[in-house]
Amino acid sequence: MTKPKIGLLERISLGIETVAGVLLALITVLIVVSAIGRYLLAWPVPDAFDLSRFLIGAAIMWGFASVGFRGSHIKVDIFAEMLPAGARRWIDSFAWAVLLAFSLLLTWKMLGRVTSAFYSGEATFDLRMPAWIFLGFIWLGVAFANIAILARLILVASGRATLEHFETVDMAGDDATEDRA
Amino acid sequence: MTSADLIAVSGFIVLFALMLLRVPIGVAMGLVGVGGFAAITGWKPALNLLAQSPVRTITDFNLSLIPFFILMGVLATNSGMSRELFRTGQAWFGSFKGGMALSTVGACAGFAAICGSSVATAATMTKIALPEMKRVGYRDDIATGVIAAGGTLGILIPPSVVLAVYAFITEQDVGKLFIAGIVPGLLAILMYMLTVRIAYARSLPAGEPFDLGNAIRSLGGVWAVLLLFIAIIGSIYFGVVTATEAAAVGSLLTALIGIARGRLGPRLILESLVEALRTSVAIYTILIGAILFGYFLAITQTPQKITAFLVHLDLGAYGTLAIILGFFLLMGCILDAMAMIILLVPIVFPVVTQLGFDPIWFGVIIVMTVELGLITPPVGMNVFVINTIAREVKLPTIFRGVMPFVAVDVLRLILLVVFPSLVLFLPMTMK
Amino acid sequence: AEVELRLSHWVPATHPIQTLGIEPWVKSIEEASQGRIHITIFPAQQLGAAPDHYDMARDGIVDLSYTNPGYQAGRFPLYSLVEIPFHMNNAERGAVAMHEWYAPIAKTEMSDVIFCLANPHDPGTIHSKGPIHVPADIKGLNVRPAHATMARFISSLGGAPVQVPAPEAREAIAKGAADAITFPWNSINIFGIDSETKYHLDMPFYISAQLMLMNKDSYAALSEENRKVIDDHCTPEWSGRFSKGWAENEASGKQKMIDAGGHTIYEPTSDEVQLWRDASAPLIDTWKEEAKAKGVDADKMYQDYLEALGRHDAKF
Ligand code: NA
Ligand code: NA
Repeated sequence: MTKPKIGLLERISLGIETVAGVLLALITVLIVVSAIGRYLLAWPVPDAFDLSRFLIGAAIMWGFASVGFRGSHIKVDIFAEMLPAGARRWIDSFAWAVLLAFSLLLTWKMLGRVTSAFYSGEATFDLRMPAWIFLGFIWLGVAFANIAILARLILVASGRATLEHFETVDMAGDDATEDRA
Repeated sequence: MTSADLIAVSGFIVLFALMLLRVPIGVAMGLVGVGGFAAITGWKPALNLLAQSPVRTITDFNLSLIPFFILMGVLATNSGMSRELFRTGQAWFGSFKGGMALSTVGACAGFAAICGSSVATAATMTKIALPEMKRVGYRDDIATGVIAAGGTLGILIPPSVVLAVYAFITEQDVGKLFIAGIVPGLLAILMYMLTVRIAYARSLPAGEPFDLGNAIRSLGGVWAVLLLFIAIIGSIYFGVVTATEAAAVGSLLTALIGIARGRLGPRLILESLVEALRTSVAIYTILIGAILFGYFLAITQTPQKITAFLVHLDLGAYGTLAIILGFFLLMGCILDAMAMIILLVPIVFPVVTQLGFDPIWFGVIIVMTVELGLITPPVGMNVFVINTIAREVKLPTIFRGVMPFVAVDVLRLILLVVFPSLVLFLPMTMK
Repeated sequence: AEVELRLSHWVPATHPIQTLGIEPWVKSIEEASQGRIHITIFPAQQLGAAPDHYDMARDGIVDLSYTNPGYQAGRFPLYSLVEIPFHMNNAERGAVAMHEWYAPIAKTEMSDVIFCLANPHDPGTIHSKGPIHVPADIKGLNVRPAHATMARFISSLGGAPVQVPAPEAREAIAKGAADAITFPWNSINIFGIDSETKYHLDMPFYISAQLMLMNKDSYAALSEENRKVIDDHCTPEWSGRFSKGWAENEASGKQKMIDAGGHTIYEPTSDEVQLWRDASAPLIDTWKEEAKAKGVDADKMYQDYLEALGRHDAKF
């Protein structure tokens, strides 16, 4: 793979992250609206409970794809970091291969959960919307995650990337506005 | 040893091997959980755990406050609230000797009041306070030590993601746990400030002249933080809304305040959402794995056996507690704070309750213990974070600077073990 | 023991369901098998979340699973008839009737597990902050429903169902998110809701039922004599025995409230009871439509249920 392909991966990853981020925003608004409806207007949003928990699940699974690509899972870094770069590459490749194996197993078994919900007619509590649609949407996230993890695994194994460990924190600590404004 | 015990012990060995090989902690726990379950039931049922349990974990309504409290902290940082906190601290404490270090502790505490994470608190303050402290001549070890210690306030002062996860695991009231963190948090602020003045008395730069007008004006910048904290903790304390609702409302309010002040645009909001989500996913991955691992422990009845063993040792309640806390400190050498809570609390919690300790009190005590792990060598997350952002300050320097704070943390821990009512009197007044 | 079985449920080990229902049943199996069968009980969701218990039995994660089929709305439409209010007035005798009625249906509706026991709880009712006497009183209220069928009923009366997890039920009531809750009597005391809901409608309003299910492979793997022991413990009579202790415990809750004082327990007149029953009629129609969609003779199935309840003196 050449550099432009890493750029492409970046863009796909950003796309997935955008979906997940928008979902998180939606759920935030949904829970606030539902709270206002419950306490102030005596009009609870129907299925707010099921909707928000299914959507949180989707946001997390789509985010799982993102984190699989970024390499920012929580892990024990101390021993890997004491090793020379060559050995670390082996360890990092092993670690991400194990993650990929887990993700593949999850994809396979969760598909069973989705089809089970499809055939059993499982539904949301109030509006009786079919549960399999939401579960299927969650499943898509873990399906994407396999590709994302594989991409990072290839980059790591070929020595073109590492497993960054504080990427997440770095951005969280980015006191950005004043610098940008 | 029965064969189930043998399987359990092998499970732990494989788990630690995988973790040392940098496999994500949650994934290591999940795979060992499924594999260990399979060793007892066969593969088919064990693999079917993956069909139900992970989906159940990520769609658990009670856990959704985690992404919201993380989002609130990210939004607050991205709309410049953390910098304002530091400036306000500086305007009020800056005239004392070592005033800027005191301001940093205050700003850490203020940021902790709206952010649920310790590493995020430490990271933010490194960027804001460290350059300023260096500018006026603070020694590297003192400057970074203060930030590393101040950062630990993030998970003690409510809201706290770690306390929320503890509440989930032990089925305790998250609101009560948050309120229980307030007095120990205030105590920590006070003790950290005293430590700055006493331990580093001879090495602190002088303060800048006090300007009352400037001090009062600086308050204009922090009203937003104050408002948010009062709104969230107040509504949890008085039982107006549930903690999850408070978290969602808090995130939305933080975003709205940022937008109203022209600090947050669509792009920055989206970035904040993605950022909060990534941090949350890292936590959820551990939760998914820990719950799978928990099924493995349950089927081998490991927690019951460990409880029986520890109770049988007959060390008395406090002797056993000391062993448990010591064990957490030891594990803190390699494990992340969140991972420790998720992996180990289910194992020791039955012991602790059987010994008659209060579960809310233990939550605060255990959070303070893992906080210590954040700043003690060889692995201290907060210290690493500071080192990642300020590459020029070496790890040993930061660890040296943080040592006096480690000492007072231990002191505070002993104080709260001896006087549990310091933790409990406030939550006991709740409805 | 020759056979080791794992039994999973989701309430704490100290709950009457375990102490008065599951434990005596398990003990009887172990004795009847002369120690050949040993059952380990895993309480409090130790091996899986409450709503996943059906799948856990199906998938062999456990051998025996104490399941509430109502946790998964829409999944077991035939079963959900028992959730329609104003049909069963006694849990012990009702369990026998429900077992006789549902056992043959389970062969198709729950074909991937073995149906063993039916365990309805003591008929619960509606507990509220203000007086509720007739269906019209529900209009405009937020109600925490017991299950999806009850949620439908509340909606049809102009109320709004508020779904919160059971442990948060007290919080929801205390904080004003809900004005009323449907619960068995003593659960109100156990969950500390008695300090919030002072008005209670004194009628056997509704039930929610649990089933004991067994994994098919685990059942098939049993020797003939062990299978007989299990068969002998999966009978209508055992459903009744299993249900008795917990039901009595729940029923005692009413007397506790009377003794504690400060509660208004209202017994509706026969006219008011008729209003409630009329209001619930559309639920039966909806159920029949859904049952027909499953290809069964819905009218006959409904009549069978009423007959079974009548036969065992458990009919509302
Ligand atoms: Na905090
Ligand atoms: Na440490």
